[in-house]
Amino acid sequence: MRTKRAVAAIVAAGMLAAGLAACSAGDDAGSGATTITYWKLTDADDASKKAWSEILNGFEDSHPDIKVKVEERSTDGHKEALRTALGTSGAPDVYWSWAGPGIGGEFVKAGGSLDLKKYYDKYDWTSRFGDSTLSTVKQYGQWDGVPSGQSGAGVYYNKELFEKAGITSTPTTYEELVEDADKLVAAGITPIEFGGTVNWHLMRLLDNILMAQCGSDTFQALVTTKADWSKEKCVTAAFEEFHTWTQKYLTKGWASLSDSEANALFFKGDAAMVIEGSWFDNVLRANDVDTSKIGVFLFPTGTGQLYGDVSSNYITPTSKHPDEAAEFLDYLTSEKAQKISLDLVGARPVNTAVQVDPTKEDSLDKQWDPIFADAKGLYEFNDQALSLAQTTEYWRIQNLVATDELDPADAGAEFQKFIDQQ
Amino acid sequence: MSPIAGAAATAPRSRTGAVRAGRRAPDYVRIGLWISLFVTLVIWTLPLVFIIFTSLKTEQDIVGSPVFALPLHPDFGNYAKAMEDGNLLRVGTNSLIIALVKVPIGLAISAAAAFALARIRFRRSRILLAAIALGSMVPIQVAIAPLFQIINNAGLLNTYIGVILPYIGFGLPYQTFILYGFFRQIPEELDESARIDGASYWRLFWQIILPLSRPALAALFILDFVATWNEYGMALVLLQSQDAWTVPLAIQGFQSQFTSSYGPINSFTIMSVLPVLIVYLLFQRYFVSGALAGAVKG
Amino acid sequence: MTAAVPSAPAPAPSGSRRRRRRSGFATALPFLAPALLAYAVFVVAPMFESVRLSFFEWTGFVGAPQEFVGLKNYIKIFTQDAVFWTALRNTVIWVVLSLIIPLTISLALAVALNRPLFGRNVFRSMFYIPGVLASIAVANMWRWIYNPNYGVGESLGTAFGLPWLSDIQWLGDQKIALYSVFAAFVWQSVGTNMVLFLAGLQAVQSEHIEAARIDGANAWQVFRNVTLPALRPTMVIVTVLTFIGSIKVFDLIVGMTGGGPAQQTQVLALWSYQQSLGNHQYGMGNAIATVLLLITLLIVVPYLAWTARQEER
Repeated sequence: MRTKRAVAAIVAAGMLAAGLAACSAGDDAGSGATTITYWKLTDADDASKKAWSEILNGFEDSHPDIKVKVEERSTDGHKEALRTALGTSGAPDVYWSWAGPGIGGEFVKAGGSLDLKKYYDKYDWTSRFGDSTLSTVKQYGQWDGVPSGQSGAGVYYNKELFEKAGITSTPTTYEELVEDADKLVAAGITPIEFGGTVNWHLMRLLDNILMAQCGSDTFQALVTTKADWSKEKCVTAAFEEFHTWTQKYLTKGWASLSDSEANALFFKGDAAMVIEGSWFDNVLRANDVDTSKIGVFLFPTGTGQLYGDVSSNYITPTSKHPDEAAEFLDYLTSEKAQKISLDLVGARPVNTAVQVDPTKEDSLDKQWDPIFADAKGLYEFNDQALSLAQTTEYWRIQNLVATDELDPADAGAEFQKFIDQQ
Repeated sequence: MSPIAGAAATAPRSRTGAVRAGRRAPDYVRIGLWISLFVTLVIWTLPLVFIIFTSLKTEQDIVGSPVFALPLHPDFGNYAKAMEDGNLLRVGTNSLIIALVKVPIGLAISAAAAFALARIRFRRSRILLAAIALGSMVPIQVAIAPLFQIINNAGLLNTYIGVILPYIGFGLPYQTFILYGFFRQIPEELDESARIDGASYWRLFWQIILPLSRPALAALFILDFVATWNEYGMALVLLQSQDAWTVPLAIQGFQSQFTSSYGPINSFTIMSVLPVLIVYLLFQRYFVSGALAGAVKG
Repeated sequence: MTAAVPSAPAPAPSGSRRRRRRSGFATALPFLAPALLAYAVFVVAPMFESVRLSFFEWTGFVGAPQEFVGLKNYIKIFTQDAVFWTALRNTVIWVVLSLIIPLTISLALAVALNRPLFGRNVFRSMFYIPGVLASIAVANMWRWIYNPNYGVGESLGTAFGLPWLSDIQWLGDQKIALYSVFAAFVWQSVGTNMVLFLAGLQAVQSEHIEAARIDGANAWQVFRNVTLPALRPTMVIVTVLTFIGSIKVFDLIVGMTGGGPAQQTQVLALWSYQQSLGNHQYGMGNAIATVLLLITLLIVVPYLAWTARQEER
């Protein structure tokens, strides 16, 4: 029958088109080279972009049979994409991630990380990294990922604005920090800025106040939910202090700003402080900020510990090309690649054979050297220490307190209620 | 005139009787009405105007001048930057392919089902119609998590077909429902005479019903094209790889990657809506008749 | 989809006595099969799977165990999940407002633009434009309009010396954020509904209006007693479409606030999505989805039954 055939032809054509389409969206180029996919964060500034393209070119030149297809996303976009894709056919071969239990740990737990023991032996990676870095690799039982970087986070401040407010030295205790904030307010300067739309930016303030109020042991017990948030008095004190900061010292309109919008205020000298990681030196330079006028000090928690995180590059168990992926990771942590990111971006090398050269650092970078050297341990960003669901709730409570919708005295109990249900 | 043809044809035309009534005398009520409509329209257009202004300003102008200030020195640099950084050509091609494959296939399947429900008598056809129509009310989010697993198990994540198939499934209920209403209004006598000539149902469908429904099909085609182009919720889950992204995903991705580059963000948004705007302006009357198609079925 | 032209007719439903009926379904099946297949696999099956998963605890990762927990997920969302109640409340607010504000504006516009006016086709086209834009694009446009530093409020406030206007946190103040997002929804949806109403107004007989006028009815009385009753079928359609569209609001919220600040603009569709695919609590996420489905069905099924009865008359 003619019509029947016509319908069949149309449907077949449609299927064919869809089939072809499906192919063209696939991965392998079919030129004989193996293509591996790599997911990472977007490089926000030109220096990082340049460093990355140099490293990538270096790898592809020395490995003509391996092509790397890179996909970049924003912080939250990257997290969400990984959470959705890991364990599925849509997962990349290699991905960069924060290594803490709340993010990297969850990925490992979910089966998103290939045990790299074999490759650690093959490439002798154990001798390449320091003990503390290696301990993060082995913290979940197997050999998860290859270290990518370590960053510390501190309070960046505008020296001129501090001077204007009559602050002569950086605070060494939490009380001094509050006094300084008061001085800034008195001088008509916004003491600190954070963006509220990405919950993790303002979280840095709460994390640090919590550390300052509770001390290291209690803090660790709290974030591992071994201590009771409703019973520890320091929790209430921390939320009360945090509330004061958000009402008195925080830039206006923070709730509608993203982190980069809020940071623009710091660049322009409209806010005196922000808590950022050591990567921020580079961001400042990229935004044409004179780094000689910027200083950094550790948030005075009284513990001497460094706030920060460790990141790694992981291979997925679903990867069809783990050998090529391992070759890629070997290159990323090679002396050559590490030197490129050190020279161009000032990234602290994880490869112990590469040393930071103080003569090449600018005045701001230099301030980090003693901070890293003197740190008495590391406490992680809480969105990396808490589980996914807990983090979501932690942010909700943080924002409720910050916007005056929840009594700080009830905040600890509210969070504990959530933990108990899990 | 058959109600089907009438539905599409009368919509864009003004009724002559009303026009004549309007010429009687100067009507201050009408003038007042016109002015208030005009003011409303200006307010309605402002958001788009602001976006266009911003897209033409340099970063300094954006920060330094109010949002409603004219871009005195229009600068198209934002467009070039957005085009390159956002990979607009690639995602635009993806969206186009998905829409051009999905829409005709989906429409053909819906039309066949609607024909069976409207023209072939069988038990429980009404219940079947109701069951299908019910699907148009299901929020996508109700099914999205399992759908993700289904597509993943089929190994179709990040492929065109992996998103086209669910699109067809979710587009069916509404289209079948609307076309059912249309087919019902084609006089049954046509069937009878065709049957006497010995025509099969296939011929009835292919040679009589479909040609008579051309206006409705065209309207649904255009409406569905726009809806497919704009779909976000399912694509968000099923298309993780940037190479497979559709336009809405790229808009959101661009916005979150370059939060404070206001110029490029706004020019990216404008470029991303241009295709549907052009389709709309070209086929405006189908939007009206498509809406009518819905209304006719009371 | 190859089933578009199947050759073998499926067996007839058992128990049908009349031959004509039986052959009826057999004849219909080839036409129905592709639609039924796609519908069953991509709409019905995931829907039932979603309901099933709502009784399990599962991280959603392939290979991870699914543990049956009975009604635990429901108990959790109803008694312990503060965000769920916020989301439910916001969804109800959103639906109710959607049925009032954009509908009233679009009806008014439609009635106005149904009169012979200079340039009314231009008016109609322009009002409709926001309706063809992707919601996610609309969300991004309005984010810019609401920008606290350079947005419209700030610009106007500075220009007219109204600091309170500059200070409004359109998307950052949790008391108004939902309504700020809703404003974008009004902007987007009015045109579509207006066109539907205009279509419905075609059915109003101008003779009836003339007759009412001659009887001395004023404009309001004509509208109230002639136009509005004639618009009833259209009103039903628009109401249902608006209901369906508004209860699954997702794109605009994602694009403008992501549910924040402090989850205060959270809605059911988004919270379900975030619990499943973000927090990897598929059980909770699907329990929320099931609640959303039940609410939708409880309102829509009676409507369907009602229209079916109307048509039988």
